[in-house]
Amino acid sequence: MQTQKDILKYLLGQVWKPARYTGNEWNAVKKEHSSVDLRMAFAFPDLYEVGMSNHGLKILYESINRNPGMLMERVFSPATDMEELLRKYNLPLFSLESHKPLKEFDIIGFSLQYELSYTNVLNMLDLADIPLRTEDRKGDHPLIVGGGPCAFNPEPLAPFFDLFVLGEAEECLPAILTGYMDLKRHGYERNEIIARLSTFEGVYVPSLYNPAYSGEEFIGMERKDDRAPEMIRKVTVENLDTAPFPKAPPVPYLQTIHDRAVIELFRGCGRGCRFCQAGYIFKPVRRRSRDKLQQTAKEIIDNTGYEELSLVSLSSTDYPHLEELINNLDSDLSARKVKCSLPSLRLDSYSIKLADKLHQGRKSSLTFAPEAATERLRKVIKKNITEEEIFTSLGDAIDAGWQGFKLYFMIGLPAEHDEDVVEIVNLCRRLREYFKGRAKRKISINVSVATFVPKSHTPFQWEPQLSMDEVNRRQDILRTGFKKLRGVDFSWHDARASFLEAVFARGDRKLAPALEHAWQMGCRFDGWSEYFDFSLWQRAFQKTAVRGEDYAYRRFSYDQCLPWDHLSCGVDKNMLIAEHQKSLAGEKPEGVTHDPDLL
Amino acid sequence: MTRICFNYARKEQIKYISHLDMMRLFQRALRRSGLPLAYSEGFSPHPRFNLAAPLPVDVTADDELGEVFFKEEIAPEEFILKLKKQLPEGLEIKRAQAVDKQAPALPSLVSAALYQARLVTVSPQLEVNIEAYRSALERLLDKEEILAPRSSRKGKRKTNVNVRPYINEAYFNGDEHEDQVVLKLLLQTGSRGGVSPVFVLEQLDFELGEKRPSHVNWNLHRVRLYRDCNGSLKPLSEGMCI
Repeated sequence: MQTQKDILKYLLGQVWKPARYTGNEWNAVKKEHSSVDLRMAFAFPDLYEVGMSNHGLKILYESINRNPGMLMERVFSPATDMEELLRKYNLPLFSLESHKPLKEFDIIGFSLQYELSYTNVLNMLDLADIPLRTEDRKGDHPLIVGGGPCAFNPEPLAPFFDLFVLGEAEECLPAILTGYMDLKRHGYERNEIIARLSTFEGVYVPSLYNPAYSGEEFIGMERKDDRAPEMIRKVTVENLDTAPFPKAPPVPYLQTIHDRAVIELFRGCGRGCRFCQAGYIFKPVRRRSRDKLQQTAKEIIDNTGYEELSLVSLSSTDYPHLEELINNLDSDLSARKVKCSLPSLRLDSYSIKLADKLHQGRKSSLTFAPEAATERLRKVIKKNITEEEIFTSLGDAIDAGWQGFKLYFMIGLPAEHDEDVVEIVNLCRRLREYFKGRAKRKISINVSVATFVPKSHTPFQWEPQLSMDEVNRRQDILRTGFKKLRGVDFSWHDARASFLEAVFARGDRKLAPALEHAWQMGCRFDGWSEYFDFSLWQRAFQKTAVRGEDYAYRRFSYDQCLPWDHLSCGVDKNMLIAEHQKSLAGEKPEGVTHDPDLL
Repeated sequence: MTRICFNYARKEQIKYISHLDMMRLFQRALRRSGLPLAYSEGFSPHPRFNLAAPLPVDVTADDELGEVFFKEEIAPEEFILKLKKQLPEGLEIKRAQAVDKQAPALPSLVSAALYQARLVTVSPQLEVNIEAYRSALERLLDKEEILAPRSSRKGKRKTNVNVRPYINEAYFNGDEHEDQVVLKLLLQTGSRGGVSPVFVLEQLDFELGEKRPSHVNWNLHRVRLYRDCNGSLKPLSEGMCI
């Protein structure tokens, strides 16, 4: 008889990038399964290279594995070549550390970072030979848990998950897991255990709630069990200095998307951009002390040997005394030639100065996100930078020797008119002229334009997404405009993928059958353009009598009940309404036609 | 300044990674070790470190070489002791030696490599027709030209190179493991041109055509590297202190 190990060995010789599946990285935690009381698998529904770049994984890996009685192992979505082989040889999905089937774990926790990874979640459950729906799972099946940003509107996934944890789980997760194992030891039935877990802070057990409808209209959640809270509130870490901090994360062999050491300066963001879900769900702003950061930075480099240290946050340059911190880090780490980097830069002179300080070597390009090209529209979304600031900071960057810029914009924002779209091209033209006067060398400009997706828990949650036809028309304006503008590289997002993202971002439980159907028909890796097949999704919607347009294009009214109203991120709905009204105050009505002379 | 040349083995656990991944792995392990590394000059300094020859993905090896420069005097014993603690399971440092700082860079010395390829089947019941393999190999070696695609440095122009002259020796060896087919390949490698063992095995599979059994894999192992010594090949590890 062939053992699973032999078959796996054989399969590894057949797939692209086998190191995605082997584990055994430096700092990977290997514990004997029989030596602990609780075994959890952290499941990331995307490729290894993507999942290993996720900071949340590293935090939870530390939070669980530092407990002697618990273990956490990792599993990622197998690429399509590996999936084919796993199915062909009937091999169940396994974890990286022990190569044990997922089914043998007590708990599987899915990281829900973006809506377009949902089919991968179902696929991983299926490859693990675990029933997709919570009602079909038996006592010995692992508990299926979800967390991450998408847990703030998990309704489309409700039938597939036993529970969700809202917010920052690094401090509360060990307690929830211990509670689960205690209940299990006491011999309670699966359903009873899950019901009791609903009393834990931040825990949402979707099966205890029944969505009520009046006709087609969702009118709120009915609780099936008195123990389940009416409103589930997210959990937050109070003091980042004492919270688990990944000091020795596994160091991947393969180059991942973000292959570097990471220290998190602060959680939350004080800027309040109205489109940004992260800005709202990670409130309030909490800082790590400089001493703590400096001390852990050194430890991380000691433990990993990374050549780069990234200072991450939602808006890193807002960290007070950042320059001093960087100076201190530099004196600690320069002997080992470790360089520091900032992931996001604001368009101001201070940021450029810092970028210049951090950068040695060829200054290829800097990335900024003005999001909108007109000051009026930037005010609507509360991205408060002036045109003057854009020109001054990019000018500073050119003087400092940078050779190009990558600029991110969005179209389809609330109160956007054709002028705003055309202005993206015009702004780039003005920048190009400005650069010509300022630099002798050629300055490259890369423009990437995404489509706005209204997200839950933001002031724009009531806003509809722009229709695909309209997105395509506005993209045409951009394509025509940029065709005439040489020296600027223009790329855009597939309107259909953004549509699907909006459907699920604003969706409710009625979407679950469509999701399951799409997966059955072969949808995987929907966020990857090479795998995304919109026609399959259209068929899935048709087959399950779901109109995606009703979700993406619907404008909610303030008094309407939203599918995520029972899930609180701590921001009062009235405050969101006030922000929404403020954003649109003084805006002219939509519907101004496109004037070709503007270009 | 010290220049240390070391000898290492790569086992099953760690064989699935590429040459660039190996370079990163060693450089990070060296940084963790706390040893006083010498760094390259310039804007993006990296440790002065070399591996003798790229090892393809999915290939194990017994007798590989690497070299590293330190800005201070380091005894080979200390080097071994400190680096060993930082290497993952499956990567084993065996010997180390201080070498002449002026000697040519390690990669420039490599001229050939000996590989051993074993056929493994996913199920042991599957029989492999060794005779079919033997005659396919004969046909392959009889060719005057075996073309391999090469792209130019920037990847723009694609050309074909005849790699037949780079196959020094290739023969099946049946006596070691009676139940397994073992193919030995002595291939030219290095700056004067070479051929990858993976490519040779692909060509062999291609020669087999329909006779190629499904459910089999080649298990590749690099036995040792060679350098050219006045026209004859000498194991590189024997002459590491030139």
